[in-house]
Amino acid sequence: MNTVIALIPRFIEAMGVTLEVSVLAALIGIAAGFALNAMRLAFGHPFKLLYGAFVWLVRGTPYLSQLVIVYFGLPVVGITLSAVQATIVSLAFYSSAYFAELFRAAWASVPRGQLEAAAAFGVSRRDAFRSIELPQALAFAAPLIANQTILVIKESAVASIITVPELTMTASDIVASSYTYIGPYALLIACYWLLTQGVSVIAQAATSRIPFSKKTS
Amino acid sequence: MSDLPILKLHAVGKSYGENRVLKGIDLDVMRGEIVTLIGPSGSGKTTALRCMNFLEAYDEGEVWIKGQLLGYRSTGRTAKDRDSEASIAEVRRPISMVFQQFNLWPHMNALDNVATPLVLAKRTSKREAREKALAALKRVGLDHKADAYPARLSGGQQQRVGIARALAIEPEVILLDEPTSALDPELVEEVLNVIRSLAQEGMTMVMVTHEMSFAAKISDKVVFMEAGRIVEAGPPAQLFGNTRTPRLQQFLKPWLERSLDFVSQGATS
Amino acid sequence: MNGPDLLTRCIGYLPQLLDGALTTFVLSGVAVCCGFFVGVFVYTMSVSDSRLMRGAARVYVSVLRGTPVLAQLLVFYYVPSALGLELPGLAAAVIGLSLNTGAYQSQILGAGFRSIAPGQIEAASTFNLTRRQTLWHIEVPQVVRATLPALVSEMIDIVKASAVVSVISVTDLMRVSQQLSSSTYRPLEVYALAAVFYLAITSLLAGAGHVYAQRAARRP
Repeated sequence: MNTVIALIPRFIEAMGVTLEVSVLAALIGIAAGFALNAMRLAFGHPFKLLYGAFVWLVRGTPYLSQLVIVYFGLPVVGITLSAVQATIVSLAFYSSAYFAELFRAAWASVPRGQLEAAAAFGVSRRDAFRSIELPQALAFAAPLIANQTILVIKESAVASIITVPELTMTASDIVASSYTYIGPYALLIACYWLLTQGVSVIAQAATSRIPFSKKTS
Repeated sequence: MSDLPILKLHAVGKSYGENRVLKGIDLDVMRGEIVTLIGPSGSGKTTALRCMNFLEAYDEGEVWIKGQLLGYRSTGRTAKDRDSEASIAEVRRPISMVFQQFNLWPHMNALDNVATPLVLAKRTSKREAREKALAALKRVGLDHKADAYPARLSGGQQQRVGIARALAIEPEVILLDEPTSALDPELVEEVLNVIRSLAQEGMTMVMVTHEMSFAAKISDKVVFMEAGRIVEAGPPAQLFGNTRTPRLQQFLKPWLERSLDFVSQGATS
Repeated sequence: MNGPDLLTRCIGYLPQLLDGALTTFVLSGVAVCCGFFVGVFVYTMSVSDSRLMRGAARVYVSVLRGTPVLAQLLVFYYVPSALGLELPGLAAAVIGLSLNTGAYQSQILGAGFRSIAPGQIEAASTFNLTRRQTLWHIEVPQVVRATLPALVSEMIDIVKASAVVSVISVTDLMRVSQQLSSSTYRPLEVYALAAVFYLAITSLLAGAGHVYAQRAARRP
């Protein structure tokens, strides 16, 4: 038990790396996903096809598959990234497809009738977007975004395979050097669980502040 | 030929939390008897029926089936005093039930619906179960629909399959919980005909129903319940013709008026 | 990169990648099937009369859904050896993936169980079917039919999650591509081709699920 407690500082540091990588990737993914959805709404059919292909490719293959292409494959065409850079880039890329679909659902959740009413009352398209569509869509999206961020955190464990010093890599390191298995891995599971529970709790508290949001279950 | 009732309720009570739904029900059902429970909504008649096969766990009094106590090991009536699932199954083996909402299993065809209790609960061989099931379906006039799924059957047909399922296990008593209440009026007759033929063959039945004419015609005993108690019980002639219970008179008034209208218009009943 | 050379090389990778793809597919299929029974079991725990059972089910689902699959697989691979039991990679992979998908399936199946009219259970009880008989003969067939599209979706997720079993020495599609990549020094084309294989598997499953959903919608 004492040895487990002694490991905690290392795990906390590793948790920091996990969070850094995940949150950064998620933020980029959210921005990219939002942009992709906006473009899908704004531009016409050819972009919709590209969008569909993108989502199909990214969501139809494992994240690990995409990570190794970015980290090991891209140098072949001259793009060399560090392990951390490759992780953030590929994780952002991977999550952007999910966030794009998420925003698509959020926009679809706003009833058409409201926009028709806005048009009928002479509200400009831009104002309608800003004051009617956006708030409701975001309220719908908020719990989903929190959920997807949790998925990004879980997916970040895969980065241990290319030796990013996050939680899983750290645990495996400790196991390899100390030949104890139960302590480090128990801590590993506990750390991830606390992270995902933490995000979930914070998200629920935050979304409950939105007066008209749908709560996560 | 035994003089003892095949089904006996003694001081049966049932509460849902604070609400006492059954307040001491005494009822004897003799072999071959047709007993009908009538009464306003909320009178407890359906609850009383469901206590007879322990679908509801009564918490006062006793229910005896062929001389065996149903549901409990001795005198205690809490959840801890309940009998094992196997013992309850054993005691209520002679009892069968027909439900208001039919309660057929939608993923099985009519034949399998009827045969399943035989195969699973009575451990009959599949071949023998199919034969018995087919015979039961024939009995209710639906052997040509043995392969049909419930979704493809009319309400009346589904209920007749339900009756076949109740018959196939060769019960000694059939409980019927408002068997025609969920049916369109034009489909009620076919089900009542089947029930009538069962009665004519001497099946013991306890039925909750709103079909007053039917109850009047086939019952040996009619029981009028209100607010969890039996207010009056006796032969149909007494309750439907000659009752002195004002509440019952009030309850039957619309039916009596309708029957008189029928008679005065020259229709045959 | 020379076009025809590239094509020849890719064709050369095919046999091994196909082998790996088959392992991935079978592993995922077995895990989903085992996970089904885990899911049913966890669901029955979650509606048990015992508070202990209900709590255990909640903890189980929370931990397995709240932590990465890779971490879970490492636990199932290394911890048994600490307790004296040497578990081969494939066994740890099947166990780990099954337990993981079981947690998710318990939620999927739960929705299906709740959609069954209580009257059907009453009828089963009246006719003296045991609770186990009611579960497997009355409830489960209907639950499977009702949740099959969601279960196919779950299998797609498991196929993708299975890529990490390469870490615990299972020669699945991912591991084969890693081996090929190091032996040919051509990571980009090898990994890209492996990704295409994954895409093929997930797309096939998605298509099958779609076909089933359409057929089910047409049935009365």
